[in-house]
Amino acid sequence: MRETVLIVDDHGGFRACARELLEADGFKVVGEAADAASAIAAARELRPDVVLLDVQLPDFDGIQASREIGALDGGAVIVLISSRDLSDLARALAECPARGFISKSELSGATLRELLV
Amino acid sequence: MTLSRARLWVLGGAAAAIGLGLVPLIATADSVSDHALWIELDLVIGTGFAAVGLFAWYRRPDNRIGALMVATAFAWYLLVASNTDPSLLFTVGNLLNNLFVATAIHLLLAFPSGRLETAVDRVLVGVAYTATTIGWFPAMLFMDPVAFGCTNCPDNLLLIDSNVGFANTWLDVLGVVGIAVMLSVLARLVQRWRGASTPLRRTVTPVFLAGGTLMIALAVLLAVGLFEPWEDAVTKNIFYGCLVAFGLVPYFFLFGLLKGRWIRGRGLGALISWLGQAHHAGELREELARALGDPSLELAYWLPDSGQYVDAEGRPVELPHPGSSRAVTEVERDGRRVAAIVHDPALLDDPELVRAAAAAAVLALENGRLDAELRAKVEELRASRSRLVEVGLSQRRRLERDLHDGAQQRLVSLALTLRLARERVGGNAGEAERLLDRSREELDQALEELRELARGIHPAVLSDRGLAAAVEALANRAPLSVELGEMPSERVPERVELAAYFVVSEALTNVAKYASASQASVAVSKANGRLMVQVSDDGVGGVDVERGTGLRGLAARLEAIEGRLHIKSEAGRGTTVCASIPC
Repeated sequence: MRETVLIVDDHGGFRACARELLEADGFKVVGEAADAASAIAAARELRPDVVLLDVQLPDFDGIQASREIGALDGGAVIVLISSRDLSDLARALAECPARGFISKSELSGATLRELLV
Repeated sequence: MTLSRARLWVLGGAAAAIGLGLVPLIATADSVSDHALWIELDLVIGTGFAAVGLFAWYRRPDNRIGALMVATAFAWYLLVASNTDPSLLFTVGNLLNNLFVATAIHLLLAFPSGRLETAVDRVLVGVAYTATTIGWFPAMLFMDPVAFGCTNCPDNLLLIDSNVGFANTWLDVLGVVGIAVMLSVLARLVQRWRGASTPLRRTVTPVFLAGGTLMIALAVLLAVGLFEPWEDAVTKNIFYGCLVAFGLVPYFFLFGLLKGRWIRGRGLGALISWLGQAHHAGELREELARALGDPSLELAYWLPDSGQYVDAEGRPVELPHPGSSRAVTEVERDGRRVAAIVHDPALLDDPELVRAAAAAAVLALENGRLDAELRAKVEELRASRSRLVEVGLSQRRRLERDLHDGAQQRLVSLALTLRLARERVGGNAGEAERLLDRSREELDQALEELRELARGIHPAVLSDRGLAAAVEALANRAPLSVELGEMPSERVPERVELAAYFVVSEALTNVAKYASASQASVAVSKANGRLMVQVSDDGVGGVDVERGTGLRGLAARLEAIEGRLHIKSEAGRGTTVCASIPC
């Protein structure tokens, strides 16, 4: 069975690329969201297996959004993404329920799958 | 109430004539036993009030105190007239023989400003005038001097019926009213004395002392009069006591005036000798306060550049408004405003002295002004520097955000697309080709955004080809038609060109974003050592400088090179941004 994915990022261009890339690698992208509030709503409704969550969102912080999504039933795996360097985010990452972090330019089905096993 | 000097002489002459004219009438009056005493009272008290009153009136024509004193002198002559034999003088004198008390109360309550400050004061004065004029009239109708034991007195022309019982009852009623008024006036004098500032207290103390004594003496007299006949020895002696207190009022007034001048004059001497020595800035206020006897005195220095008053630390201060509880004396030097002395209004009873002190201290004040100006400049520079740092920080934040949201996102997408193309290149060649085309577009856009960003940091065309070319490039890139006006042919220093460039750039960006304009125009000219930049549009107007971070940043940037930004933007009438930069 293909894992379902929700992509949360405020750049439409990136969401389109990520969708194509992940679907080519066998994931099923069930939804996209451009900000934290709609991301939380979509996660509640769509129950994805994986939420790809940008750290910087226009309404509020992705770290905070990850806590709210992590608290939902269904246990989606949260993976943070950013175009920033991991070293900037290490502390925030340790304090939130995200499974891991992928730099946006490193994103592929393979890197995502590594975090899921 | 102003009168020409000639009219004051006429009034003085009239007072003297009446005072002297009454002398033979008193001397020959059958009804009076102590002629000499009344002649002395006539002259001493009448002359005292008239002379001091006229002097005060002459010196402060806008203050009613002098007029009130002169009025009191004439009212006094009415009482004196009641001690003469002609029936008309006797009758009028008797009818109005207490009017001087009413004018004295008016004088005391209005002292020293000449105005009755509270409603209570106005009521008291009103009651006093009424009781001593209309109030006496009914009693006069029934008061027969013979029935009151004065067999030598002339006729009371107003007499309609001799009725001692009614007249006495009426006088008792007036007496009770009088006691209430005297005690109320006394209470007001005490209250005002306690509330007075130091310089005001110095002015009012002698007058209030004499006036307070007069009120007490009159109240005692009226109280005794309720039980004793008016003509017996006790009431007569108390009455003479009252007259002493009354007669002292003008002399105490004069004493207070001279004492204040003397104290301040001595202070002025001390100030001048202090000014002659080496001294420190900051002590000037203390020295002036001491010289003028006003510890509350404050100094404000005029800054012609910014058109405002500042304190010694260079902080802006507001001068008290006219009519407030503080007075202001402005100090000029050679017609230029230097400073303002904010002081107690009581000092205005001798405005020449304040001006004399200011004139003596004008050089020290000028030094203080320069000192304050320097401090204000330092403060302004500090604020300008911190604004500049703030602008720098916010520009760096904006730069980071622009990089992150723009070129960086494009490059991330490019990386992902290339990765995808790499996977497809073996199997699905057509798909790989599509992805590579998209990569190319992403790359072009990323490059364009990087160029845009680089221009925002520093426009290379400006350094290479000058302001006119750079402004032309801005106009070409603008999404609306931009008409180019005059442009400077020669180069100006780069920091000036750069500032002018950013004015045009920011203004055109705002026009495109907010103005809904169809056209804009840009002109740059050099005049009187300044570069003038003007950007106008025909859009909606109504720009609020305080709310736009871009414009505020621009203003701070210009401030750093002593430039000025001026924006004219009425709603519906377009916007004109003007910058003037020294070059």
